[in-house]
Amino acid sequence: MILKMKKVNLLFYISLIFLSFCSQPAREPEEVRIRLAADPENLNPVSYTKADALQIINLIFQALLTVDLADNTIKPALADALPVIARHDSVTHFTYRLREEASWADGSPVTAKDVAFTLKVMKAPLLHNEQLKPQVAFIQDIVLDAADAKKFTLVCQGFTPEMQLLTGDFFILPAYLFDPKKLLDSYSVTDFTDDLSRLENDTKLKTFATWFNSPDFNRSAALLKGSAGYELENWTTAQYVTLKRKTDWWGNNLRQPVSYVTANPTRISFQIIPDNTTALLALKNKQIDILDNIPAAEFTNLKNNKAVTETYALYTPDAFDLVYAGLNTRQPKFGDKQTRQAIAHLLDINSFIKISQQSYASPTVGPVPPSVKTYYNNGLTPVSFAPAKATQLLTSAGWRITPEGWFRTVNGEKQHLTINLIFRAGNTAFENSALIFQQAAAKAGIPVNVQAIEGSVVSQQVQAHTFDMFFRTLTGNPFFFNFKPLFHTSYSEQGGSNATGFGTTESDRLLDEFIVAESEEKKAALLKRLQAILQEEAAFISLYYQKDRIAIRNKYENLKISGLSPNYDVSAFKIKN
Amino acid sequence: MLGFFIKRLLYALPSLWLIVTLIFILSRLLPGSFASENILHSQSESYYSKSDKSAKQQAYQNYLLRTGQHLPLFYFSVTANPEPDTLYKVYPESERLHLQKLAWQYGNWPLVTAYYKNLQRINPTSETKPALEMLRKAVDGKAILSALADLKKAAPYSSTVQELEKSADNLIRNGTGYTYLLPKLHWHGTQNQYHTWLAGLFTGDAGNSFRDSRPVQDIILEALLNTWIIVLISLLLSCLLAMELAILFLQRPFIKLKQLIMPVLFLLDSVPLFVLCLLLLVFFANPDFLQLFPAYGMGFFQTGNLSWTEQFINRLPFLILPILSLTLAYLPYITNQFYRAMLDADTSDYVRTARAKGLSHKKVIRLHIFRNAWLPMITVISDFIPALVAGAVITETIFAVPGMGSLLVASVQARDYPIIVAIVFVVALVRFVSHLLADAAYMLADPRIRLQR
Amino acid sequence: MHTLLQDLRHLWKLKPAFRIASVYLILWVVLSLFLPLLPLVYEPNSLDLNNIMQPPFQNNPSQPTHYLGTDAIGRDVLSNVLYGARTGFFIGVPVMLLASVIGVILGAAAGYFGDAKLKSSKASIFALWPLTLFSLYFYGLYIPAQAATLQMPVATASIGMLIFILAGAFILLRTLLNLIPSLKKQVTVPLDYIIVRLIEAVSSIPWLILVLMLASFLQPSVTMLAFILILTSWMGIARLARAEMLRIKALPYMEAATSLGLPTKRILLQHALPNMLGPILTSFTFGLASLLTIESTLSFLGIGIPPTVVSWGRLITGIRSDTSAWWLVVFPGIFLAATVLALQVFNYYLLALSANKKKA
Repeated sequence: MILKMKKVNLLFYISLIFLSFCSQPAREPEEVRIRLAADPENLNPVSYTKADALQIINLIFQALLTVDLADNTIKPALADALPVIARHDSVTHFTYRLREEASWADGSPVTAKDVAFTLKVMKAPLLHNEQLKPQVAFIQDIVLDAADAKKFTLVCQGFTPEMQLLTGDFFILPAYLFDPKKLLDSYSVTDFTDDLSRLENDTKLKTFATWFNSPDFNRSAALLKGSAGYELENWTTAQYVTLKRKTDWWGNNLRQPVSYVTANPTRISFQIIPDNTTALLALKNKQIDILDNIPAAEFTNLKNNKAVTETYALYTPDAFDLVYAGLNTRQPKFGDKQTRQAIAHLLDINSFIKISQQSYASPTVGPVPPSVKTYYNNGLTPVSFAPAKATQLLTSAGWRITPEGWFRTVNGEKQHLTINLIFRAGNTAFENSALIFQQAAAKAGIPVNVQAIEGSVVSQQVQAHTFDMFFRTLTGNPFFFNFKPLFHTSYSEQGGSNATGFGTTESDRLLDEFIVAESEEKKAALLKRLQAILQEEAAFISLYYQKDRIAIRNKYENLKISGLSPNYDVSAFKIKN
Repeated sequence: MLGFFIKRLLYALPSLWLIVTLIFILSRLLPGSFASENILHSQSESYYSKSDKSAKQQAYQNYLLRTGQHLPLFYFSVTANPEPDTLYKVYPESERLHLQKLAWQYGNWPLVTAYYKNLQRINPTSETKPALEMLRKAVDGKAILSALADLKKAAPYSSTVQELEKSADNLIRNGTGYTYLLPKLHWHGTQNQYHTWLAGLFTGDAGNSFRDSRPVQDIILEALLNTWIIVLISLLLSCLLAMELAILFLQRPFIKLKQLIMPVLFLLDSVPLFVLCLLLLVFFANPDFLQLFPAYGMGFFQTGNLSWTEQFINRLPFLILPILSLTLAYLPYITNQFYRAMLDADTSDYVRTARAKGLSHKKVIRLHIFRNAWLPMITVISDFIPALVAGAVITETIFAVPGMGSLLVASVQARDYPIIVAIVFVVALVRFVSHLLADAAYMLADPRIRLQR
Repeated sequence: MHTLLQDLRHLWKLKPAFRIASVYLILWVVLSLFLPLLPLVYEPNSLDLNNIMQPPFQNNPSQPTHYLGTDAIGRDVLSNVLYGARTGFFIGVPVMLLASVIGVILGAAAGYFGDAKLKSSKASIFALWPLTLFSLYFYGLYIPAQAATLQMPVATASIGMLIFILAGAFILLRTLLNLIPSLKKQVTVPLDYIIVRLIEAVSSIPWLILVLMLASFLQPSVTMLAFILILTSWMGIARLARAEMLRIKALPYMEAATSLGLPTKRILLQHALPNMLGPILTSFTFGLASLLTIESTLSFLGIGIPPTVVSWGRLITGIRSDTSAWWLVVFPGIFLAATVLALQVFNYYLLALSANKKKA
């Protein structure tokens, strides 16, 4: 018995020691902690693959232009002003000048030569740049200004409105650090624009490729040093990535401070937590300061949780992510617009929003976000959920109901109205919406087969035009509304971006005119008409625009909450006094 | 002794090779790859396209070439007779599929390519476009002819169209169906992915991860360390506990205790591990209930240098929940097995003799039963290793521990094949080594076994 | 067979826990078979969009009560729990049955033939068997799969013809090859070695890894899942069957029979297989219990099962989008744990009995 007592005592002491360890670990002051859902894997500004990585790289490197999240507009970042655009017949010139003060981590200035180097790295063969290479394919050449080392002109093929952003949308790399042996100096950007096969055995290029493709370039703090206000301090795979503010950064010493070029918190650390439940507990534990992408139901719970609202502020900015349904107009059964309209009337959008988004979404008439007031067509109303109307439309489209479903005979071919609905597996919002649609359609006599499949298989089926109907998300923005690739019939071939096969002669004309339209009134008129046609044709059925759901520690101010990702500008955060 | 080990090694190698080869080939046969996911289908759809299709296609092919993934998979492949072995080089995939369909339908590859080349030569204009679109999908003779008729209406005097018509006619007339029922063997030689990988493996290079292009062995080692800490500690804990429990159960006075604990263990065994983890998380890392432990991870970044003991102490609170959940999950099975092994030993002759000698019950258990039961126990543990890893997958995902389990889930989702194959290899290897150790222990303990082998 | 029934009856009489477990299992089987006849107010897949995430036991005067509440899209938890039991049964039992058949055949063959007993002519080993296996792969797997991706109508009639011709060719080839004396020579097949390697190989990968890999690439469907599960759960039974066969072979009466030159095959069929039933039943129940857990774990990880299939795992997964909905975990969780527990208890007593018998 005495022996047993001893054991119990021992156990007691052990548990005491355990508990003393288990007090919450102390926090570094002035450190902002952000949850990441997955390891960024690769922080190289040319070969990164994940959106999580982009958010981090944005704090280390800078592009020519940036989006000011405070008012969702494009502003010059490394450049000192927006580009001067000069349109010629087949090419367009974009002339930039870099900020006078902009400098690299070693104090040397950022020059036009660095921009040229960046383009070479992005376009050269043999390098690990395949992810981003297609994005700069339209930039043919760079012309450096002979007199001004900071001035240069980008020569681009053709013209589209979004080129303005795309010419300034890639991170500028430090040539002194990335190419100390000046291996790429002897090439020009045009060398990498034409046929690349002759360069594949080029020894100099091969040497550079071995150096640049090494894993160090994806994660080494010594190499990943850019012109922005932070540098990589520590990265422990799948646990955390911490960034430290540079001690004497040029952006903080500007004579005229720029509100969107900032580096306020001394340390930013990204905590990697894959599981949502765990992330929420970490939030309640106050182990993280920022949590985004909160599941809708949980967000409502957080709102009602006093302990949370005392320390966290909750935001729901209007995002630019459109959830839409696509119908394959090439399928004979969906060939006429009445049938498609009938299906649109079976989509219970209000229930989708209520159930899968807990009302954190706004219904929309078309692909223009309701928050963009100038272009949104207020004259239209979103398609209503009306099964009776759907039945009526189907009947007038020639369908007849039988106990087995809807049938019609077109050109001697008997058609049966069935729908195979595909969407990306793992997306609960799609899944719930699909099941709601399935039930509504079943009541109307249309059998719907709901198929959750792997993301890449969805894109394959959509591009091969073998689908009936799909749910997808469209990422938008508030600056450019060039819908030509999405809706013009010239993009509707196999693998083209017009997957639904939508298009009338009028819509094609509208889309062509929009690109060259100059005045805002004209653009608005064109877009509003396009929205009306899209709704009428019901091939691309816009469902709703999502709202993002974010929680941020309320001790911070100057957050710049926005619907554009990453939804807040952490480099601007200040602690409230 | 050495001879025995070598013999065992030779015995186990075939299974090891078999499993790794199977996983290697299987993983690459499945649809979707890291490259196509990230380059071809990379951006989610957007208002304007950031890059056009052909540029992406070009980049994709460059990537495959650079990483050696353009090579055939294995030394040989068997396909239907009409397919050429160069078919995999055709891009984009939709075109490849169409070519394959034509090959199956008409069974004559030269005729198919002749037709296809003529088809590609035709300039798409706004008039010919619909007919061309049809032709790119048409497979059977009727469909091709009707689309051709449309095309001729759209471009009546074009010589390329006439050539196309000729080759189509030739194809339809001279093609033979059903030749796909005959198999054809293609020999690829050593220029294949499997050979490259296997050769690398022998020189200690397991390839690079697709995701961050780091060497596979570095990544695995990093993850293995984290997993090992958790798995080993929880295995040790559950073995110790199981042993104590089993010894308790064997003693008469504690029969009531046994009747109490056994059902609890059974119940514990019936709760799925992920439910157990969620329960622990919600109960012990939740400010709404009891906030004893941090919810996730393996510690935060600390500035300054720490000794390893300090590091360990910093980590400890993060480790407790994962360890606890795994210990609870392993405990019922191990206790049961240990108890049974000891029960067997308990009824054996020498224990009876020992009792007859007048040794006390406790001493009998500690000295004799245990000495004879620990061998079966080792087997139990080494048999248990795959289950340990399976458990780690779940625990690590929920508690955000960067170990083998979460690495595996992430690699599977990203189709990072080199990592997947390496993980399977490591797990199989560990199991094999532990079996070997168990055998060695048997031999040392009981020389009779040596004679039997 | 007879002894097994006797054993069960014996346990039933003596052990109350065994009785409870058996009653529960019988109820489970009956429920699974006759559930569609039960007058449930709500279908498991019908949505009640006005009452989503309703906690249990809340009375709503305007419509029938959701006794156990509803999930995120208004599906009735009670009917989902009941139908989930049915799904578990209809996936688990056939999968385990097929796995048992495969396991028993392979295990018993390995145990019976050992490394020395199976003899075959060189011709069969080097030509006929590889050829048969290859034809099975090519015509049974490759051609149909390719035809499906190419959307080609494969003429079944012609394939049938082809198989007929191939079978003829096979017989012809066999007689021809057997004419060559050097190929006719009999050699031993180390069947035991091959099968044991195979068991070792498959069981050295954790099942979860295998299922995770396969299920995340292939399109989720119940048949696919069942197929994967069969592939990963036959090894336990095979090992048992092999051990049992070895044990029986070494029994004195078998040795006597062999030395007397009696036909051993018949004795084996008469004695060995019935003796194997006990261990196989325990292995069966154990496998069934782990299958139920696997199914819900996969649903939780979001892999493998299509969203229209009713299952316990699907209900439990609902907790991921709203952690306050305790009823989505508790009710299916209780049933899941109870079913697994009942299977384990059943298993435990059976094992204990056979262990006792061995000693006696």
